[in-house]
This record gives sequence, structure tokens and C-alpha cells, in this order.
Amino acid sequence: MNYEHCIRCTICVENCPIFRVNTEFPGPKQAGPDAQRFRSDREKAQDDWVLLCSQCKRCEMACPCGVEPAQIILQEQQRYGKEHPQTPANLLFANNYYLSVLGSLTAPLANFIASTKMGERVFQAMGISTHVAFPQFRFRTMSKEKKSLNRSIKKVAFFYGCFINFYRPDIGRKIVHMLAGLNVDVVLPRQWCCGLPALGNGNLSLARYFAQKNAESLSNYIDAGYDVIYSCTSCGLCLLHDYTGILEIPAGKKIAENCYNLHEYIIKLINEGYVKPEFAEVPRKLAYHIPCHLRALNIGYPAQKLMAMIPRLKCEILDDACCGLSGTYGFKKENSFSSIQIGRHAVSLIKQTGAENIVADCGSCRIQLSSLSDMPALDPAEILCESLGITDQK
Amino acid sequence: MSVTEYDVVIIGAGVTGLTAGALLAERSLKVALVTRGEPTACLSTGCVDVCSHNDNPILGIRELPPEHPFRLVSEKTVRESLDYFQAAMKDIGVPYIGSCEKNRSVISALGTLKVSCLVPSTMEAAPQDTDESIHIITFQGLKDFYPGYILSRRKSTGFSVYDAGVDSTMSIAARFEEKDFLEKFIIWLEKLNINETKIAFPAVLGLESAAKIVNTLTTIMEKPVFEIPTIPPSMPGRRLFNALKKNFRKKGGAIYWAWPVAGIEKSDNLIEAVTTHSPGRPNSINAKAFILGTGSFVGGGLTATRETIVENVFNLPVHVPGTRETWFDNDYFSLNHGIGKAGIIVDQSMRPVNVPWKNIFVCGGILAETEILKNGCGHGLALATAHVAAQSCAEYLSHEL
Repeated sequence: MNYEHCIRCTICVENCPIFRVNTEFPGPKQAGPDAQRFRSDREKAQDDWVLLCSQCKRCEMACPCGVEPAQIILQEQQRYGKEHPQTPANLLFANNYYLSVLGSLTAPLANFIASTKMGERVFQAMGISTHVAFPQFRFRTMSKEKKSLNRSIKKVAFFYGCFINFYRPDIGRKIVHMLAGLNVDVVLPRQWCCGLPALGNGNLSLARYFAQKNAESLSNYIDAGYDVIYSCTSCGLCLLHDYTGILEIPAGKKIAENCYNLHEYIIKLINEGYVKPEFAEVPRKLAYHIPCHLRALNIGYPAQKLMAMIPRLKCEILDDACCGLSGTYGFKKENSFSSIQIGRHAVSLIKQTGAENIVADCGSCRIQLSSLSDMPALDPAEILCESLGITDQK
Repeated sequence: MSVTEYDVVIIGAGVTGLTAGALLAERSLKVALVTRGEPTACLSTGCVDVCSHNDNPILGIRELPPEHPFRLVSEKTVRESLDYFQAAMKDIGVPYIGSCEKNRSVISALGTLKVSCLVPSTMEAAPQDTDESIHIITFQGLKDFYPGYILSRRKSTGFSVYDAGVDSTMSIAARFEEKDFLEKFIIWLEKLNINETKIAFPAVLGLESAAKIVNTLTTIMEKPVFEIPTIPPSMPGRRLFNALKKNFRKKGGAIYWAWPVAGIEKSDNLIEAVTTHSPGRPNSINAKAFILGTGSFVGGGLTATRETIVENVFNLPVHVPGTRETWFDNDYFSLNHGIGKAGIIVDQSMRPVNVPWKNIFVCGGILAETEILKNGCGHGLALATAHVAAQSCAEYLSHEL
């Protein structure tokens, strides 16, 4: 907590998407380092506006002095969450994992109910916004897939995360096929929610519970010589930064040392000369919306490097705008106005590029952007699979 | 270990780094830029000062002391660097106007006239003297911009206040990007029946489309419209940064945000890699050449200790202007603080002197003897020295490869 290093230059404020559209939020400088000077553990947390921060971490990426406003706010959000009663929306989203397990087991029914007027009314009553359609649950989740073992030298444990598991297992299957095609053995370790939604909804103990379970499972694989890969950038950020940071998981360091972004890992294989994928042409013009949490991972934009190897693919990077949904943030009624405003700005920047498709690593960015722009939004892994001729079935 | 290979690594995302990076990427070199955070350019007025001493900046440079880094740059390169900048900015949609042979004025938020060389087109119509009558439009609740300051210095100045529903620089600027808001605002503006010859705004007229918005307002009001730069958050500074960033990306450069250099790897005569902290594996970037454009004290390139001054990335030898007692003038607002001379001394190829490494080039505000405040030469010096550094770096690499 180096809030004393703040020189009040306001660069963080300029980068805050929430501050731009919501006058209730005093901005990262005031909510973070400024207010921190006056906070005391002996007093109850009273600043309810800390909950308006969406944890996009753009302030931290921009700060020229190394202050971490979002981290300061995150601590305060946890303290506030602990000392005040949880809203139904908070409870629901913190436990999104359990809900999704249930949702996918009863997929056709759950999807139907969610899509009816009645379902919508229930959501609204609980303080949940329906401005973007919920993703559809899939019955055949990723966790039911088989591992792919061919006695390869490279072995990975794939942390696919909730989004792929419950909503887009097809992308997960493609990733497994792609890795198998690159002579990599893939196992699907037993896994739970990474913990980020619980953190984002002020439920530190639940987040820690999930993290401990995951750490135990992943740790076993790491000991057996596996690298961990993730494709969801928010899961990745949680595994790398929060497990060692706010969640204080003992095995956190080991996980951080052995955990790779999917695309970062493929580049590593190429650089080591382990594989030499032959990318076929993909004649598409893409706007690559960089998810805020990919920026925050400090690994550059590895998917862009891979896509640059694909002939006839045009891809413009857009990393100045947040999509506004921020996982569960934009689904809360009190945030939906801000969320839409922020999303519209991101969409206007995308439209200026003249691209046909949006591409983004993060599932929730894709939901928001394609819903507000009526443009298809794809995962960069889908583009790679298209180029390598890999389908869901193969 | 995550290792990445590049031809050139630029350290610092300011005017210097982004310009040098774009020039090198243009030559089909693989360029990465690493930065701790966003640059001080965001806090600037967005104006490009070249040399504010003389009415003609080119002549002004000739009058600078021989040790000033501007004197290492040929007049031809100074002109080329400013032309390149203007062409690139026009291309991105953030046009700059002005000539390197004639300085011009922009009006400041205090009502004084600030001398600069190239200014954003949104400030083109700023009065060049104190006589022209202007009408200021400000916004309800906007802190840090008080028309009263300007009124006290200028005759025949009026002002009006608009309620934008939001009251910070960022949020007002964001609203100007919305079509409905702009239309409503124009209707209000037309009803004011402004008599003064020009209309002034604090610089909040949009995030990306400011140039277009100013043009629209000028056409509709049939009067010159211009922006007055504000204290940070400064929209013109941010637009400059965003435009330079876009230009760099367009040429093929990659940017690593929040990537403070924590360590370096070196041999006897080469810098080989820079590394940063990471929660997991060490994060390292290798390159054949390095360009240092981290700025001076505020930018984070230099740190003053009790006794001396250190360069933060490579620990290069720093020119320290005398003992600590001579660093500061008694007058706080003086332009003659000795510390303005601190920095890195370089040769004509922008290589630092007295270091064993031949693949490092230094440019911009971190250079010694600049006295940027006194000479009014901030962004101009950055552009010119970035050109020289990029040139030397490209020459070095062509021999190496």
C-alpha cells in the first residue's frame, strides 16, 4: 500500500472509465490514496462508493509513480463487504460458480426461465440488470471433457475457468485440440471458480475458499511437471496476482511461477523451436479489444503476436477503452447505466476502425461488446483455430 | 523465464519514446516500448514548445549555450522532426498548426499569453495579443478553471456558464463525444447572442474528436472558437499522448504497460536485456539496442538524493550541477533553478558519454543542460533528439546485422 507515493497528478483519474460517466464515484485518486489517509481499522468502513469501482485496474496501469489505487480500493471493498449486509445481487454473483453448476445441469430449463418475462422480473427484483442477455448455459460442460495424452514432452493443466466451462465449452474443446496438435498433452484438472467474482462482490472468505481448493489441485499437477495455462484473462490475473496478493495463498507463488497465458505459452513453444505451426490465411479484419485484465497481467499482448503470423489477417489493437461490463459489475442494476455508457464509448472506437469482427480474450467483454454493437465477437483462440483448421469435433 | 526478443527496446512512453519508437518501427525493426506508467506529456498543455526565447525558434536555438543538447542537432533535423510530427498528427486526426520560424501565443487559464511553436488546431484561433475581445464559456462546477482570472487581465471579455450535468474535465469531455449532448449544447450557445469576436472554452471539447468539434462550433457560430489549456487533467495533453501512441502502433510497435525496469543484463560493452518484477517468472525483454527516454525528475528518469542525482534505469553517470546548495534558487517561481541543468551528457549520436555500452541512446528531457522551463523547449527538444537517437540507433543496427 504505497499510497504516500501519490503525487496527485490525476493521470489515474483520466484513465478511470467509471469516473467519466458516474458522478457518484469520486475517482481512483480520491477513493484510493486520498481517502486511505483517513481510514482506520478502528472505525467501520463507511464509503459505500468504493463499491462503484469495477476493478478494471486501468488506474494502476497508468500511474507513473507505482501507486496501486485499485488495490487500495479492493481492500476497502472487502472491509466494507464484511461489515455490511450483502445485497441479493452480491450474494448471487459471489456464488456464481454454484449457481452455474446448477444452471448447466438443468441447462435447457434454466436458459428458458432466464429468457422469459417472468425470469426477467425476478432478476430485476434482485437488483440484476438485463441490459445484455445472459450467456446460455451448456449441458455438456468443459469439466466433462476428456484429457488428451500422447506422451508428449510438454504437459499442461488447463485452467479453463467458468466462462468456457458453463457457457462456451466449444472454445475449450478447440483449445484442447489445438494444443494436442502442437504436441502438448492436456489435462483438465479438477477446478472451481478462480475466486475473482467473490472478490469483486466483497466476499473475501469465499474467494479464499475457492483459491485454496484450486491451489491444491493445480499444485499437484505442477509437482508432477505440468505447466498451468489459462485462457480467461481475469482468471489469469486472479491466479497470478491475487493468490499471492490479497488472498494470501501459500502455494500462490508456485502457481504464479508456472502459470501461462495460452498464447504466451504457444509463443514460448515456437521460440523454443518445439513446434512450428503453419498458419493458413484468414481473410478477416479485426478490432482487437484488449481486456483490462490482460493489460494488467504485464505480459504484453501475446495473442496479437500470434495473430500477426496469420497471413491476410488485419488486426487493430484498441486498449484505451474498458467494455464496461467488468464481469458481474455491469449486471448489477445500480451499475447498468455506467456500464452501458462505457460500453458505447468502446463500441464507437471499434466502429471507427471499420473492422468486421471484434476479438477479445475475455468472455464478458465479448458479451457486452457484441450486444452493444451487433457485431460478432470472437476469442483470439477461435481465430488461431480457424487458421490451423481446428474444429470443435476434431 | 519469459524472454522476448526485439531489435530495439524503448524505455519511456512520452513524446520522446513514442517518436523514436515510431521512427524505428517504420524502418521495419521490431520495436517494444516499456513504461512504468503514462507520461508527463498527459499533464502538459499539448503544445510543442521548441524555443520560446526568440520570436523565431530556429534562431532561438542558435542562441542557446553551446552545451545545450539542442546544439547537437542540426537545423535540418530540427525542421524534419517538426515536419514529421505535424504530418503524423494530421494523419491521426489531431492536427497541429504553426511554423518553426515563428512562435505563436496561446492564452493560459490565468489569462497570460504562453509562447509556443506548434499548437493543437483547437488553439489556433487563440488571440495573439491582449486586445481582442473574447467570450469565455465555462461549465457549472468545473474546478480549476475560473474565468475571473482571465477577466482580470483582459478588457472586453465576457463569460457564460453551461450546466453539463457533470463537473469534471474528463466527464465533460466525454459528454462532448455524444451527439445528443453536442446538439443540445449548440442550441444553448446560439441563444447567447455573443457580441465578442471570439469564443473561448476550457480544453474540454471532447476526447478524440476535439478538432472536429471546434470546427463544427466555428462554422455554426460564424466566429473563431478556441480552447484554453487547463491544469491537469489536461485534455490536450492526453490527446497528444493518445495520438502519438496510435502512430507508434500503426508503424508496428508494441507497448508494455506498467512495466517498470527493475534490472538490466549487460556484458562488457552491450546492454542485453531489461527485466521487470512479476509475481511469477522473471519477466525479461532482450534487444540489440536500447533508447532511454524516461524524462527527468517528474517523468521518473532521475531521482535526487541528499547528495547527488541518480539515473534510475541504467545508473548512467549524471551531470550534477554543483553542490545541493546551488540546485535551487531562493525564488520558488524562478526559471533559473540550477537543478534544471541536471541530466545525462551525450555525444552527437545521443550516446551517453563515459559509459562502456555502445548500444544505448538517450534523448528527451533526461538530457543534461536542457533547462526546459527557462528555454521553453520541452516537447520540441524531445522530438528533435528522438530523431537523432533513432537515426544513430538505426545506423548502429545496420552495421551490427
